[in-house]
Amino acid sequence: MDIAAHTHTRRVIIAIVAGFALAALQPVAAHHSFAAEFDANKPINLKGTVTRIEWANPHIWVYLDVKNDEGVQPWQCEGGPPNTLTRNGWTKDSLKVGDQVTIDGVLAKDGSKTCNARLVKLPDGRSVFAGSSGETQQRQP
Amino acid sequence: MKIHSAAALVAALALTGVCPPSAAGQPAGTGREYQPPAGPAPRTASGKIDFSGVWQKPYTPDMTKDGKDQKGYAQLPFTAWGEAEWKSYDAAEGDYTGACLPFGMTRSVNTPEPMQIMQSDKYFAFLFEQNSWFSVIPIDGRPHGHGIPTWFGDSVGHWEGDTLVIDTVNFNDKTRLDTIGHPHSDQLHLIQRFTRPDLGHISYEMIVDDPKTFTKQWNNTRTFTLRPDWEIMEYSCEENNKSLWEGRIKVPKYKRQ
Repeated sequence: MDIAAHTHTRRVIIAIVAGFALAALQPVAAHHSFAAEFDANKPINLKGTVTRIEWANPHIWVYLDVKNDEGVQPWQCEGGPPNTLTRNGWTKDSLKVGDQVTIDGVLAKDGSKTCNARLVKLPDGRSVFAGSSGETQQRQP
Repeated sequence: MKIHSAAALVAALALTGVCPPSAAGQPAGTGREYQPPAGPAPRTASGKIDFSGVWQKPYTPDMTKDGKDQKGYAQLPFTAWGEAEWKSYDAAEGDYTGACLPFGMTRSVNTPEPMQIMQSDKYFAFLFEQNSWFSVIPIDGRPHGHGIPTWFGDSVGHWEGDTLVIDTVNFNDKTRLDTIGHPHSDQLHLIQRFTRPDLGHISYEMIVDDPKTFTKQWNNTRTFTLRPDWEIMEYSCEENNKSLWEGRIKVPKYKRQ
């Protein structure tokens, strides 16, 4: 195997490992029943610009403007508790106002533009605030 | 590198789980599981096992299920009353913890957030990070008090050899045993048994004795892991409880006492 091919193989491996890693990311447990607020059967994918981050208990919240055919719509997505995220190495500055993000989450049951974020990704593929309050997933300590 | 070895690497890393950035005590991307310090169980000056420390606990949202470091009790022995309570529960109508009301003893121990134990000859104190609650328990042999029923109940402790047994009664009936909502009544008698097989671990057993809700006692066993690299952090449930303020979760309707 020449060097270029070796490098390519390594990149592929890293990408695959990253994919598995994202799949294995631990959700951060809810302080209350997840199912009471969110519908795990209503997934949503949002792409938008971060407008505000609230780094406070019991959960962090990320606000973003999402552009679509109807214009710009404000959304809000819940993340994990800041204490657990801090222990996992995240800070409030891991995501900044103006960052373009993609959020995979599930919708709130009340029909508002609210989601529970299972995955928040930056354009370079890095994920921030890994995990969510989805109690249906296995949590890894 | 051959493809089959690459696949093996991927599989190995996936199985071990890969963590985000540089988690304290759990290096990023290595998948290595945290290992607590090794050694014998410490003792207090008076010779009792000393459970003091910050402890990582397994998240136990459903006490009937097994999980990492915890074993559930699959078939709960409900009474007719208990089964009716369980079947009629709907968290969407109000999970009290969403309103930042006290979790109570079982759900506080069930949380994934760590807890600190502080201990003297007279007292054993749970300092729960979840919502910054605490419970201070006499362990000097005194009997239960006769106060009004409370969210965390009335606890006293005693020693059975090197096992500390914490016995709790006088709960109100406003809490649930776990996040999924398994019920209990005001007749709940909770027994928690602590042993420390070595420096790094507590073997923990929670025994649920509630004759109104269950036909017999049942238990849930867990292992807690010492985290000398962690400190308990403040946790204000009320600070930004948007979900409640914006009406997506409800306050439960309790019967007036």
